[in-house]
Amino acid sequence: MGAVTDDEVIRKRLLIDGDGAGDDRRINVLLKSFTKWCNSPGTPEEGFTQYQRMMGTLAQCEFSMGKTLMVYDMNLREMENYEKIYSNIEQNITSAHEKIAECKKEIQRAKRIRKNRQEYDALAKVIQQHPDRHETLKQLEALDKELQQLSHIKENVDAKLELRKKQFHVLLSTIQELQQTLENDEKSDNDDNNQESPAENGE
Amino acid sequence: LNPTLLHMSVFSQSFSPCGRFLAAGNNYGEIALFSLSAALSPDATAQSQKPVLTFTAHEGPVFSLLSTDCHLLSAGNGEISAWSWTELIKKNVKPLWTKRPNYKSSLEIPEINSMVMNPRDNSLIVGGGDNNVHVLDLERGVFKLVLQGHSDYVHCVSVREREAEILSGGEDGAVRIWDSRTGQSVHCIEVYKYESCARPQYGKWISCLTTDSDWMLCGGGPSMSLWHLRSLSPTSVFPLTGCQRQAAFHQDMILAVGEGPFLSHCLLGGEVKAQIPCTPQSLNTLQLNTNSTEHRVLTAGGSSDHIDVFTNLSYRAFSLRF
Repeated sequence: MGAVTDDEVIRKRLLIDGDGAGDDRRINVLLKSFTKWCNSPGTPEEGFTQYQRMMGTLAQCEFSMGKTLMVYDMNLREMENYEKIYSNIEQNITSAHEKIAECKKEIQRAKRIRKNRQEYDALAKVIQQHPDRHETLKQLEALDKELQQLSHIKENVDAKLELRKKQFHVLLSTIQELQQTLENDEKSDNDDNNQESPAENGE
Repeated sequence: LNPTLLHMSVFSQSFSPCGRFLAAGNNYGEIALFSLSAALSPDATAQSQKPVLTFTAHEGPVFSLLSTDCHLLSAGNGEISAWSWTELIKKNVKPLWTKRPNYKSSLEIPEINSMVMNPRDNSLIVGGGDNNVHVLDLERGVFKLVLQGHSDYVHCVSVREREAEILSGGEDGAVRIWDSRTGQSVHCIEVYKYESCARPQYGKWISCLTTDSDWMLCGGGPSMSLWHLRSLSPTSVFPLTGCQRQAAFHQDMILAVGEGPFLSHCLLGGEVKAQIPCTPQSLNTLQLNTNSTEHRVLTAGGSSDHIDVFTNLSYRAFSLRF
């Protein structure tokens, strides 16, 4: 366990200090030169130059730290930006999915409509082959009228026939009656004659 | 090349109720079960296109297969066998029952060419070589009606649910419409007598019949034609060469297969929109998998041991092999 953490530490330090032990070395050198300067017995000019040099290094370290802080801020802001873009894209994906589902439904509807239209066209083709309804109705009307006229004529002829029949019937029955009457008369005449002769014979 | 495979013809197909399996029947009396989930998965191999189970179901060719909610019904050698889908998936090939319609003559056993379900009264309509259409009541397991009228064998049957009518087409060239309750023949359409469809060079027999409520497709010797059933008039004739053996209504199109190595797409107006090439030289059966949304495929089989699978109607994706 300890070995792993050591490796991790070494790796992290190597990663951070990527530019060939720049900042780390600088701080260590500054510390060493500070302790040396505190304990050095040198002349005030030397001490002052050393002090100047140390201030310079300090400024460099501060500058480098400031740079790193800004980079850190920038990274944070970049992350935020990416998060935003990510959620935006997710939303777009879901809305695209919904649109696809909608379009699929539309296609189904359109196909149904097309099918209905084709069925309609197919039937219409067959219907067109039959004669127009108005034409047929007119023809029917004309035929109806003809039929009416003809039945009218037939009625008239029938009535005439009836009348003639009746008249002939009357005529024939009158003739028969006359015939009957004549026969009766003849018979009664004969009877009279026959009655007279036995009476004559009787005497 | 294995001669058995060379002379194999696939006559019938049926998808399982779960939509994950396809059963196909061939001329040797065998039924093969293919796993669609395996064949359609992204890591499918050549082995996934072979059957997961093959067994001999009948002594004669399996001309018709049909699936109910839980059973697979197969027709062969003049008899109908029922198999449980769950058992078949577990590779148990024992049939649940085998029945035979009451044929008048017991000398020659007529073939059963076609079967269709009438979901209204849970009955099975069977048409075969004895010129009659038999109706089997699936609940009671008895044949309750015989529709007599055809003068030659019956090739195909279909059901018009809303009007409770049964349609049958046969070798005698007639399409008969029967009332499913009384068993009386309501109409008889002799397709070959209509000049627009007749093709005397091919004959008068009707080998393919399907309905879509008010409309009917029929074909065979005569050209495939679309009929409006209420007026009993042919509205469109399809200029397809060869005799069509199976047709289906699909959305706003008509799919048809028959003689010739292609699947035809037609519009209701009579035009042939496309002809998609297929592996077998002539096709006998066409099925659409409506039982599953993930495996929505179209499969076509014919005079070959290959069954073409279409994931997109415009082209053949791959083939299953016996």
